[in-house]
Amino acid sequence: MSSYTITIGTIIVIQAIAVCGLNVIVGYAGQISLGHAAFFGIGAYTAAMLSTKAGLSFWTALPLVIAIGGFIGFLLGLPSIRVREDFLAITTIGINFIVEAVFRYVPFFGGALGIGGIPRIVFFGERLKGMTFLLLCLVFLFLVLLVCWWLTRCWASLACYAVRDEESAASTMGISHVRFKLLAFVIGTSMAALAGSLYAHYMQFINAGDFSFPVSVGFLSMLVLGGMGTIWGPVIGTLILGVLPEIFRPLVDYRILFYTLLLLLMIRFQPGGLLGEESAMRRVLAPILRRGKA
Amino acid sequence: MTQPLLSVNGVSKYFGGLKAVDEVDFDVFPREILGILGPNGAGKTVLFNLISGIYQPTAGEVHFCGQRIDGLPPHLIAQRGMGRTFQIVKPFGSLTVLQNVLVARGVMRYGHLTKIWGPWGSKAEIREAMEVLDKVGLTELAQRKASLLPLGNLRRLEIARALIVGHTVLLLDESFSGLRHDEIGQLERLIRRIRDDGRTIILIEHNMRVTMGLCDRIVVLDHGRKIAEGAPKDIQQDEAVIEAYLGRKGISHAS
Repeated sequence: MSSYTITIGTIIVIQAIAVCGLNVIVGYAGQISLGHAAFFGIGAYTAAMLSTKAGLSFWTALPLVIAIGGFIGFLLGLPSIRVREDFLAITTIGINFIVEAVFRYVPFFGGALGIGGIPRIVFFGERLKGMTFLLLCLVFLFLVLLVCWWLTRCWASLACYAVRDEESAASTMGISHVRFKLLAFVIGTSMAALAGSLYAHYMQFINAGDFSFPVSVGFLSMLVLGGMGTIWGPVIGTLILGVLPEIFRPLVDYRILFYTLLLLLMIRFQPGGLLGEESAMRRVLAPILRRGKA
Repeated sequence: MTQPLLSVNGVSKYFGGLKAVDEVDFDVFPREILGILGPNGAGKTVLFNLISGIYQPTAGEVHFCGQRIDGLPPHLIAQRGMGRTFQIVKPFGSLTVLQNVLVARGVMRYGHLTKIWGPWGSKAEIREAMEVLDKVGLTELAQRKASLLPLGNLRRLEIARALIVGHTVLLLDESFSGLRHDEIGQLERLIRRIRDDGRTIILIEHNMRVTMGLCDRIVVLDHGRKIAEGAPKDIQQDEAVIEAYLGRKGISHAS
């Protein structure tokens, strides 16, 4: 594999981890978020600060990064879940702009220059880059998918689905909507923080612009395209929206037009996403999968 | 005299200047079927929302099993064994009928952060859920997605969920409306059976025949106030009730 392919692949895998987190919030718990890049950024900045200023290794910093990401997700989730739908969308956009502004204007976070000199990840004495780093990211993606899969099987997810479908009916079944929305927020933002940490150590230089609002829109587009609430949807969506721009590089000026068109077409014809429950893809795949099992 | 299981004392709910429920008192005793009757807009559903915690009363107290429950959020009241249905059905549309019932089955777990990570749908839980679905006659539709069900079946699904949550008290909000004649008979039998199993039922109903036949006692509301309370036959004779339903002129015709 050429280093170009590996670079594209690594970015896609890192983004897929973040989109899996977004899927927990939007897909499982039904809480729209247009500020997911903020939490991706919080993970990246936390990892960058801990490694450059506190001198921690990626591995010792990782639990801290995930915990801090989840904790900030909890704090910002508290006021956000008091509002619904459109208002929640606007609130999360606001969070994205505020977090980005803090990174950009507070000198402690490197200001407009960002943070550079983030060390590579060392694993058993070897500095990971290229293929080995991609493998590490794939392992993390696998672990995140495992968590997502488990989430669909446990009581917490059943409660989240109930809140997503009918909040007031869920409350009369003993489900506190505040608790389960926050839970989804914390899990989703921790995953974003993990992705952010990998991103920081991969790029070795980060800057506030990497975590701006359009990145959040990108994450949500990937999720909608792949299929909200499905396990593989985030991966498929990220893969397609990660690869297509590379293939159609000459058409780069029309990229936003293309994204918009794609989203409109998806919402019109496949609102559940490519892997959604009644999607064309699933209908094609279902008989093949069934034969495989039999 | 036995202790009331649920007692509503001077409960009011004002929405701005509108007195939706105005100083209503009544007690419900164990294993009783209590009917709440009243014309449209009398405050019946608001009263249910006050009892189940969806609204907080402006004044008054609600006691359940000897403890004060007004002011508690609905999920905590549900965890104490109060189940309810909604007049406008609220199924979890993306889940199957069976999963809808399983959500209710988890009622005692959702309050504990340690109990929500286990897998749902063990064999015992599914068997139990299927038994409840059998009671309401939805066995065949267990794997069907709830959003695809017609109204009559959704009403049964609501009852199935409430049955699991409400191991002490069930609040049924117009569960008969929109049902066919034969379905009404089945539901009446089901409600009697639930009561015979030892549960207490409070129901809001418009169908007079059903209410009179099914309920041990009836509370009548009009414009948010309680205008009568008593056995069905006394309610039928009550002047205030006839007036509320038929207007002043109705009294002379009825007598």
